[in-house]
Amino acid sequence: MTRPNPQALRSCQLPAGAAVRLRSVSRRFGAVTALDSVSLEVPAGSFCVLLGPSGCGKTTCLRIVAGLEQASGGTVEIGGRDVTNLPPAERGVAMVFQSYALFPHLNVEENIVFGLKARGVAKPERARRLEYASAILGIGALLTRRPGQLSGGQQQRVALGRAIVAESPVCLMDEPLSNLDAKLRAEMRHELLALQRRLGITMLYVTHDQTEAMGMADQVVLLHDGHIEQDASPAEIYARPATAFAAGFIGTPPMNLIPLEPGEGGLVARGTAGPVLAPMLNTQTLAGVRPEALRLADGGIPAIVLHSEYLGADTVLACSVGEGARVLARLPGHAGLAEGSRVRLAAESCDIHHFDAATGRRLGTAAQAA
Amino acid sequence: MRGLEIAGAWLLGILWVAPLLYAVWTAFHPAAYATHFSLFAPLTLHNFVQAWNAAPFARYFLNTTLLVSLVLVAQFVLCTPAAFAFARLEFPGRDTLFAIVLLQLMVMPDVLLVGNYHILSQLGLVDTILGIALPYLGSAFGIFLLRQTFRTVPQELDDAARLEGCTLLARLWRVYVPLARPTYIAYGLVSVSYHWNNFLWPLVITNSVSTRPLTVGLAVFSSVEQGIDWSIITAATLMTSAPLLLAFLLFQRQFVQSFMRAGIR
Ligand SMILES: Nc1ncnc2c1ncn2[C@@H]1O[C@H](COP(=O)(O)OP(=O)(O)OP(=O)(O)O)[C@@H](O)[C@H]1O
Ligand SMILES: [Mg+2]
Repeated sequence: MTRPNPQALRSCQLPAGAAVRLRSVSRRFGAVTALDSVSLEVPAGSFCVLLGPSGCGKTTCLRIVAGLEQASGGTVEIGGRDVTNLPPAERGVAMVFQSYALFPHLNVEENIVFGLKARGVAKPERARRLEYASAILGIGALLTRRPGQLSGGQQQRVALGRAIVAESPVCLMDEPLSNLDAKLRAEMRHELLALQRRLGITMLYVTHDQTEAMGMADQVVLLHDGHIEQDASPAEIYARPATAFAAGFIGTPPMNLIPLEPGEGGLVARGTAGPVLAPMLNTQTLAGVRPEALRLADGGIPAIVLHSEYLGADTVLACSVGEGARVLARLPGHAGLAEGSRVRLAAESCDIHHFDAATGRRLGTAAQAA
Repeated sequence: MRGLEIAGAWLLGILWVAPLLYAVWTAFHPAAYATHFSLFAPLTLHNFVQAWNAAPFARYFLNTTLLVSLVLVAQFVLCTPAAFAFARLEFPGRDTLFAIVLLQLMVMPDVLLVGNYHILSQLGLVDTILGIALPYLGSAFGIFLLRQTFRTVPQELDDAARLEGCTLLARLWRVYVPLARPTYIAYGLVSVSYHWNNFLWPLVITNSVSTRPLTVGLAVFSSVEQGIDWSIITAATLMTSAPLLLAFLLFQRQFVQSFMRAGIR
């Protein structure tokens, strides 16, 4: 892979980003509600990740912003302009599709300038942008090849190239890294982020991989069943998940959710005699504790080790608490506990989160509730 | 078992090629050798010269070429937008309409001989090349074939082109048509060979030298003027089928590949 050519990079004017705003956008397919009144604001030049499990409406959301799909209700604004009724080509967005959508009958160069030709951009300008993009992406040697003769990573670069030459203020990406192997994915993650920073464009990036989201995003929008569970920075969504769903989705491994029941002096893990994990305010409560916040200590929650997985730097202990609640604990070093041994798991009270078991809503940490 | 299969294949192959071999034999030898095989029979092109001069074959070639090209171009131009509409556009009654188009596949063209003649005579197109071509210009087979191919074009390619500002026609022309190339080649071959060899309808609708295609010209030639001179008839037959035969032999591999890719076998 050739490295970027700094001279070509300097000679170019960068497109500025544009803010994207969705106001209560809905989309129904017959009986299925793919998006349910989604409102969202992405500042110009920032990196926003739409995160969520399969089928939650991420692609639908992106296609509505692109104009490839018509919203059933609500409005879309790009750069302060209402684009709800504009065709895709007039919205100032570029898109990288999950399958890359390269035209198999055109070579790399023709693929990259396809849109510029369709829009009637003059030839010298096309050549300038092509040179710029191929310098940034290091694909100068591939220009005469067909997509069928490229590796997955190279195809991905060409798809990026097509988005770059459009010089659109907004770039949409639908799981662009999901076809790559783990190593290449990590590499491309850095490159994508660096590229977005350098171009200063606004990025809407779809993924179902939460590590990708945490590592790249300025803003994570967590979707679930067509609605937004939480819209916050990665640090915020990790430290203060707004719902039980968000808690159970973010983190490797994600947060433990332990059902509680009334006990002596407050709520305790169901099926145990203590310790108290929450004040007796709402009897339908889940306690959330991150695996990395748990440690072995006397006076902790009684648990039975199911199995332990040694990962080098730390050990992930899978335990059963009370009436079969499964709890993961991430302990530093080699904990070396046999299956079936009895342990006690404790956490600082500020690390214990509470969620309403019925609605999934956050109830505030124990420290605040007390 | 395997030996039997090979023997069977050879037998079928010989049965199929025998008339052709006989035609080649007779056409290249003097008439005296038409029914009598001798390894040392003298070779001659005399039969071809005689056949070529006995009837206006040059004109027939021109007529057939015009006919075949007209049909091919018109079928491509008409089937492409129809197939695209059935494959990718949403409009009320689409599936019903498509079913009606498919019904046409079940109607043998020969059944319509009289009806078509009637209509064409009302249009004043009897004994014209356009008249021969007209009943075949809208092809259900072509629409069906292209629709199936267009449906396999990934929606994301269409979306990508739409995002880049391509209009409907531009998308059809720059995305769908290039991707369907193997289908166009395969369908073109079927169409050309069908209309090159078509006989009954052109026989009915033409009655002059300036419109007759090769097949009709050959039939007229071999029945009346010549009596039964096998050497000249086979020479004329070889002459008229040579272009198709040569084209197929030359492009055999491409044709077979196109058929495979287009899913017709
Ligand atoms: N054209 C369509 N017709 C009917 N239902 C659709 C259509 N497109 C999407 N859906 C439905 O809308 C919901 C959201 O789909 P969407 O493709 O946005 O999910 P996603 O979050 O992108 O999932 P994935 O991670 O699997 O790509 C799904 O339940 C899906 O079945
Ligand atoms: Mg998707």
